[in-house]
Amino acid sequence: MEFKQVLGNRRSIRYFEPDKPVEKEKIQAMLEAANRASRSGNIDYWKALVVYRDDLDAETLDALRVPTTTADLDLAPVQIYFFADCSYADPANFRKNLKELVTLGALNPSHGWSDAYVDENVVGQIITPMLSDPAVVGWMGTIETGLAIASAMLTCVDEGLGCCLHAVNMETAKQVFKYPDHWIPCWTLLVGYPAEDPQTGGQRPRRSISTMAYMNNLDTPFEEDPAVTEKLKSAGLIQNEIDADKRAAEVRQLARRFGLPE
Amino acid sequence: MTPEELAAAPSVVRWFDSARLHSDPEEEKQLRLGLLGGFCDHYGQSPDELAAGLTRTTKAGESAISAKRRAAVDAAIDEFVEKSGFTGRDAVVNGNIIRSFLVHNGIFIQGRAWRG
Repeated sequence: MEFKQVLGNRRSIRYFEPDKPVEKEKIQAMLEAANRASRSGNIDYWKALVVYRDDLDAETLDALRVPTTTADLDLAPVQIYFFADCSYADPANFRKNLKELVTLGALNPSHGWSDAYVDENVVGQIITPMLSDPAVVGWMGTIETGLAIASAMLTCVDEGLGCCLHAVNMETAKQVFKYPDHWIPCWTLLVGYPAEDPQTGGQRPRRSISTMAYMNNLDTPFEEDPAVTEKLKSAGLIQNEIDADKRAAEVRQLARRFGLPE
Repeated sequence: MTPEELAAAPSVVRWFDSARLHSDPEEEKQLRLGLLGGFCDHYGQSPDELAAGLTRTTKAGESAISAKRRAAVDAAIDEFVEKSGFTGRDAVVNGNIIRSFLVHNGIFIQGRAWRG
């Protein structure tokens, strides 16, 4: 699929084909994409735990439910738990990885980087003070993990799957999966083949970027060029919005299929 | 509570309006009302009491769902379904019909899905 089409096709999918197996190779592609996401200092910020629903016993699956995520856990064949691993916050990691980036020409003298700077100054002056603040460690870890999740989600769409971010009962998850205390749970990504129209009848409404982006100063909204907008529509990035009546009919049909509240 | 009284209860009217159930076949409507009425008898509350009892007022004066009471009602729905002898798909569907009443009265609650 073309890149802009992938971006335009992404939806939060809430109705999955519950018994259509999800190929492990597609999950691997998602994780590889997450592993290629932008990340400061080329540090490993995230951890992921892939769980196939049918590998869980019924009692555990029940215990993972919360009022906002119950039917979803029945329908999604795969759960991917994403965590920010705060053990990244070791100055030695930054020193080692930044040196590697200097050696590989990713960080260059043209932009002020050198072995000497990494060896002698950056850790003491910037990294160590930054990592001594737990709020910053958590903030940075979760942001970087979010970037990885976004790449995984787009790859999910490209692979013909659907996904949606959820919160499950993390007390249960902690007991069952025994993840370390320094892993911050970010999101649980539920994955499967969509049982609903993968485009869910159209894109969710988005306000104009001119309400969110500015040009040069905050008094000047970023104005869209209509010709560019048309080009992005042709490329599939911007799509028609949902037809609510058609969507309501589909939702009702799905609710009946799965015995869910109408 | 008679079937007529049940159907006229404001929370039931709200349910039917919000879920657009009025145009459904009469048999389906009666099934829904019968299940809700049965559950209300089981739980010992009218539909209006049931819906209102699941919310509380915060210190800031806002309405909020009581998580504890919602969990209790959720468990009571499963208990009612089991006591009524429903199994398999019927158990899931009929429990979720009662949850639908709660959903359309503003109570966020999910039931299980039937996977066949």
